[in-house]
Amino acid sequence: MYVYLGIDVGSVSTNLVATGEDGTIKHSIYMRTSGKPIEVVQKGLKLMQKSLPIGTKVAGVGTTGSGRHLAGVMTGADVIKNEITTHAIAASNVVPGVQTILEIGGQDSKIIILRNGVVSDFAMNTVCAAGTGSFLDQQASRLNLSIEEFGPLALQSNVPVQIAGRCAVFAESDMIHKQQMGYNIPDILAGLCAALVRNYMNNVGKSKEILPPVVFQGGVAANAGMKWAFEKALEVEVIVPPYFNVMGALGAAMLARESTNRRKTGFRGFQVADSDFCSGGFACDGCPNICEVVEIQEGGRVIARWGDRCGRWSNALAKEEKIS
Amino acid sequence: MSIKVGIPRALLYYYYHPQWVTFFRRLGVETLISQKTTRGLLDKGLKSTVDEACLPVKLAVGHVLDLRDRVDYLFLPRIVSTARKEYICPKFLGFPDMVRHTINNLPPIIDCNFNLYHKGSSSADFYFQVGKFFTRNPAKIIMAYNASKAALDKHNLDMQSDCLPQEHAAEGSADSNGINIAVIGHPYVIYDNYISMNMIKRLRDSGARVLTADHLPESVVREEAYRLPKKLFWTINQRMVGAAYHYFSREDVHGIIHVASFGCGPDSFTGELTERCARNGSNKPMLSLTVDEHTGEAGMVTRLEAFLDMVRWRRNMADAAATL
Repeated sequence: MYVYLGIDVGSVSTNLVATGEDGTIKHSIYMRTSGKPIEVVQKGLKLMQKSLPIGTKVAGVGTTGSGRHLAGVMTGADVIKNEITTHAIAASNVVPGVQTILEIGGQDSKIIILRNGVVSDFAMNTVCAAGTGSFLDQQASRLNLSIEEFGPLALQSNVPVQIAGRCAVFAESDMIHKQQMGYNIPDILAGLCAALVRNYMNNVGKSKEILPPVVFQGGVAANAGMKWAFEKALEVEVIVPPYFNVMGALGAAMLARESTNRRKTGFRGFQVADSDFCSGGFACDGCPNICEVVEIQEGGRVIARWGDRCGRWSNALAKEEKIS
Repeated sequence: MSIKVGIPRALLYYYYHPQWVTFFRRLGVETLISQKTTRGLLDKGLKSTVDEACLPVKLAVGHVLDLRDRVDYLFLPRIVSTARKEYICPKFLGFPDMVRHTINNLPPIIDCNFNLYHKGSSSADFYFQVGKFFTRNPAKIIMAYNASKAALDKHNLDMQSDCLPQEHAAEGSADSNGINIAVIGHPYVIYDNYISMNMIKRLRDSGARVLTADHLPESVVREEAYRLPKKLFWTINQRMVGAAYHYFSREDVHGIIHVASFGCGPDSFTGELTERCARNGSNKPMLSLTVDEHTGEAGMVTRLEAFLDMVRWRRNMADAAATL
């Protein structure tokens, strides 16, 4: 059996997907990045190898997410793509005819507008991370809830309270205020969901034409409260696809299939999970830019460098995995 | 030893440098341009500027600091207006004073008024005042002024015939697969390699031809800008809006990128005005980017990459549709 691997290394979660030659998902893994992308990718590869039937061959690898270059260098990816493109590709394959994709991840939120199966517009949150998964996470832990309980609890609300959603910091003080006034937790949570959706619509959804079918994906789509709030705000049905939390990885796997079409993959094998990768950095003193150069080493050998503006360090190495 | 005048490589330097440099040279004055923006230079600027100033002004202060101890005079013209009944941003007007009151041990500042707001005003007045710092011979000033004007006219013509400012001329591969991207933004943002994070080079490296407002003759830009219900009285923003309108209506331009700098008031207007144009009556993709003190390039790279993917994808679809 041949599979295509998609790896999405995000700020909060790292996901791996293996698809068959027909594009169906054979296995998917969702893990917390926990600030250690290298270890998590290695762990994910090990888990993936175990869960795939023995004798499975990897015919192509694609990486995406903010850690895509790192994962790409480690695994020898055939394609390294940004998360907007991969999310769009995955959604349009899973929900044919999709016209709007709402995606909320750990630290970013984006909207992708498709028309006739082609991305026609997109927007990503700019400088502010209010209204993303990290904030929900933080608020849940402040209320001593696990993030999994958040959604069901929010749905129990009868009268969602009004919470200022413009800024995460102010939303928090507003929530504390409401909680000290004696509002119950489900109402506060539902109010928070509504506030985040308002923030999303004002930030990334601004002046976009949102037409059904609307797909909601990314880690936050697990939160039923957010789905409810979106449906209320948009007044259309919001579809959460079955693999909503690994859509980026799925798209990367699909792209890997496309790009290795009858060509040999660059995948370095599952044994990279046991290689000794280490990342280090140094400040280049070549000019006043003082670029922070990152160096990825495998068993003491430098395999990639990036972060320098002038290319002094990254060009010093051989070039397939050159960044962007 | 001849007198040395320092010109910060910031703000309207990007419009007027051929004229300024030529003028001083003809007067027998040596000019020293501050070095290209680096992180060290921006950091210095950030530390010595008031909080409310926008990023380009903070950067300009950094350039002033770079020149401070190396020149006999600092050339910081008080540019009030460069066209009749129009203004330049008030921060430019106050810039020489801002510098004078925040930085110590400055060399003498040449801060003559450049004001063409009123009927009958001419840029010659400004150059006369500047010239008087160095010579008492009016004929010499007139000759220098004429030569400087010719240099500016030539420079503008060069720009219109597809030579971006000198720093960008040689970079990247021009026109390979025929994608044309218009970059709309303040010249001192988009031509500064540091704060624009090499945007123009990145676009060129990925095979796009970059067009800016400076590729258009002033008459075209103004005519387009008059489509607004009311005249925009900020010259640069009028240029940006006019150029954006022009490129939106051009068949051979495949996408438009609007670059705003964080903290710029007028940019928030032009961003909105261009975006409205993008939504009504045009289906060209548009990307809005905001640059600030951020040094993380990932966000910019991801967005540019996704934008180019989208433009190519749409173009291929259009090509396919045309052959049906």
